[in-house]
Amino acid sequence: MGRTLVTITQLLNETEANLSAFRRTLRRSDQYIFDGLFAAARRHIAAIGQAESLLPFESALLAMLLEQSKEIAVLEQKVEELIKKNSG
Amino acid sequence: MTEVIGWLLDVFAEEDGITLWVLAEDGERLHLRMDFNITLYVAGDFFLLRQAWKYLREKNVRLERTARRDLFLGERDVMAVTTPDPANIQKLFADLQRQFPSLDYYDVDIPITLRFIAQTNTHLLGRCRVILNGEWVQTIEPLSSPWEIDPTPMPLRILTLAPECNPAVRKPKQLHVKYNQREYSLSLESPRPFLIGLKADLQRIDPDLILTDYGDTWLFPLLIQWSEETGIELNLNRDRERTVLTRKANSYFAYGQVTYRGAQAHLFGRWHIDRKNAMSFGEYGLEGAMEQARVTGIGVQEMARKSPGAGITAMQMLTALRNNIMVPLQKQQVEGRKTLAELIRADHGGLIYQPIIGLHGNVAQIDFSSMYPAIMVKHNISPETVGLEDAPEGLIPKTLRLLLEKRLMLKNILSDLDPRDCRVEILKARASALKWLLVVCFGYLGYKNARFGKIESHEAVTAMSRELMLQAKEVAEDMGFTVLHMYVDCLFVQQEGFHKPSDFTPLMNAIEEKTGIPIALEGVFKWVAFLASKRDARVPVPNQYFGAFQDGTLKYRGIELRRRDTTLWVRKIQLKALEILARANTPREFANRVPDVMNLMEDAKRELRIGRVPLDELVIRQRLSQTIEAYKTPSPAAHAALQLQAHGRQFAPGQSLEFLFARNGTGVHAWELEEALDSGKLDTKRYYKLLDRAIQTVIDPCKPLLMPERLL
Repeated sequence: MGRTLVTITQLLNETEANLSAFRRTLRRSDQYIFDGLFAAARRHIAAIGQAESLLPFESALLAMLLEQSKEIAVLEQKVEELIKKNSG
Repeated sequence: MTEVIGWLLDVFAEEDGITLWVLAEDGERLHLRMDFNITLYVAGDFFLLRQAWKYLREKNVRLERTARRDLFLGERDVMAVTTPDPANIQKLFADLQRQFPSLDYYDVDIPITLRFIAQTNTHLLGRCRVILNGEWVQTIEPLSSPWEIDPTPMPLRILTLAPECNPAVRKPKQLHVKYNQREYSLSLESPRPFLIGLKADLQRIDPDLILTDYGDTWLFPLLIQWSEETGIELNLNRDRERTVLTRKANSYFAYGQVTYRGAQAHLFGRWHIDRKNAMSFGEYGLEGAMEQARVTGIGVQEMARKSPGAGITAMQMLTALRNNIMVPLQKQQVEGRKTLAELIRADHGGLIYQPIIGLHGNVAQIDFSSMYPAIMVKHNISPETVGLEDAPEGLIPKTLRLLLEKRLMLKNILSDLDPRDCRVEILKARASALKWLLVVCFGYLGYKNARFGKIESHEAVTAMSRELMLQAKEVAEDMGFTVLHMYVDCLFVQQEGFHKPSDFTPLMNAIEEKTGIPIALEGVFKWVAFLASKRDARVPVPNQYFGAFQDGTLKYRGIELRRRDTTLWVRKIQLKALEILARANTPREFANRVPDVMNLMEDAKRELRIGRVPLDELVIRQRLSQTIEAYKTPSPAAHAALQLQAHGRQFAPGQSLEFLFARNGTGVHAWELEEALDSGKLDTKRYYKLLDRAIQTVIDPCKPLLMPERLL
């Protein structure tokens, strides 16, 4: 209420809308992954807001990368556990 | 000279001073008079002031040149205009402003009650000692303070009047009358016997408060009309010299929605409150409205109908009067100049984290108590202090300090009481009434018409709150907790092996020490579910959750059950589903209860199919957001309004409409139509869909995240 600037939620919605032609051209299976990138950014709306950047979408990209790195770290851990289990 | 001790009911402006109504200890209701001068101030160009002085010399006023403080500009040379006629100050001011529009005017629209309170230190509904000469007050002194936790109760005589049905729907035939334990009905068939009966009751009972249903919009206008038609004089006021004060209905836009406020009927010497036309009455009732009148200085009749914003504005005016600060007519402070970077830094709300989606076990919810007001008081945030180092206590913190303390004390008393204690209801209502004043106070710092508002002070509060929330998060993480969700002033935390309330005490102590703001444990959830967006199951939604505390109590936010536009039937079934799930003690047990929920849903659908659900449980309520003509494609509410319009009903934006989903051309059937809907015409499929959605909401959290097939 009473805010002058668009919120991060609005910004992500707008950016996503601007990329709709890009998304439409992707294969359906890729579209799901593409949506996942925005879902990843949306998990960090508070942090993107706190970054107080003139180009908030940069922070949104970083949030996407962060979620990806997190997933890699989780998978690495799982792989290690599996290797240990199999060799043990 | 006589001395009277009693409670102050109301204060009104007269052409020669003021009228006071006092409920004396001996049970008498006293109409008292008092000389009362009021002063307004004018500042600006010296030449113009001189002209204004000449203009005013002819009138019945006393003029004086003096210096007085403007909150933002500091000391100003002003002309003080004092009149012994409080009733006509608005006229005096209007004349003056017409002649000299470019001068600055102060203290022109302060309610008389506030001036009286500031001058005498008494308060509305408070006890006072009055020395009288005849009916004229010589002196009046306070015997109580609005900040007392346990005020002596007033022996109010309350008369309740309610028709047997909503007069907007059907013409009522009876008026139910209730006084003490007695209840009876007056027939509305013919005006004359009805008026005579009611008049006799009024004289016999002489109520202090007439509590009605539809009094503002139906009963009082009807009484006035009948009284004129029959020639039977019926003055509802205790004050014989006054007539009932009526105000017109209006629609206005606030907080993102259009609201409709019906006409109002105010009384003199006693109060009238229409339970169906009182803004926050449902929230905290008569006790709450009286508590607000006590601390704000706005009369009970006004306070019951107004928003808490009017109350907090009054409190600020009172602080200003007591500290010799002039109250400007209009807001003068515009937003300061900022660079884009500064704007980006400042223009934020509270900190809202996206929760971790899914079902979590043993989660504590901890809340900062009255966080925003506490920040304003502790960090001295006020429009005139923002950006200054070591400023003396500002107007806003000064206004809030006692209010905040009182609410905390009431809350502490409440938390120590047994929930079955008879005092709980009243204390809760009072605490809630104070809470609303505190809540809106923050908004008013940034509100475009608030006289003591400045957007920078509003921003300073949210900035501080975000900082404190981050500090709380860091403290929690340092102590090994996972922060599942944060929402403006509350945190949801979890740690392996922590489940008793006392397990979280060290964390709360640490946060309180770090931030300096009191924090309280709302409770420990056995399990709590944070929901995903309906559009994409990977996107979390803030402040949509439900959970069961350890004692089995449910808490839910943002789900269908909380929404006013959900039908009673759907709400009932969703609540039953949650009650089934609340028996689960862990997330794992939660999943085991899901089949029971599915059975519940199937049973409910069968009941609907065979017509065993009462139609009133299927009624949908929606608001008209604009005039009916303005809709290009009418909403269901607009369709319902059109059906009723054909029967001569009128609708204004903001009014709610009730209807059923039906299998006819428009898809709806207005609930208030004379002919009832044939139950075979009910659109059951549409209702199934609503129920499916509500049940999906509560069982979704135990579903694992599914990837579409053949993805890679």
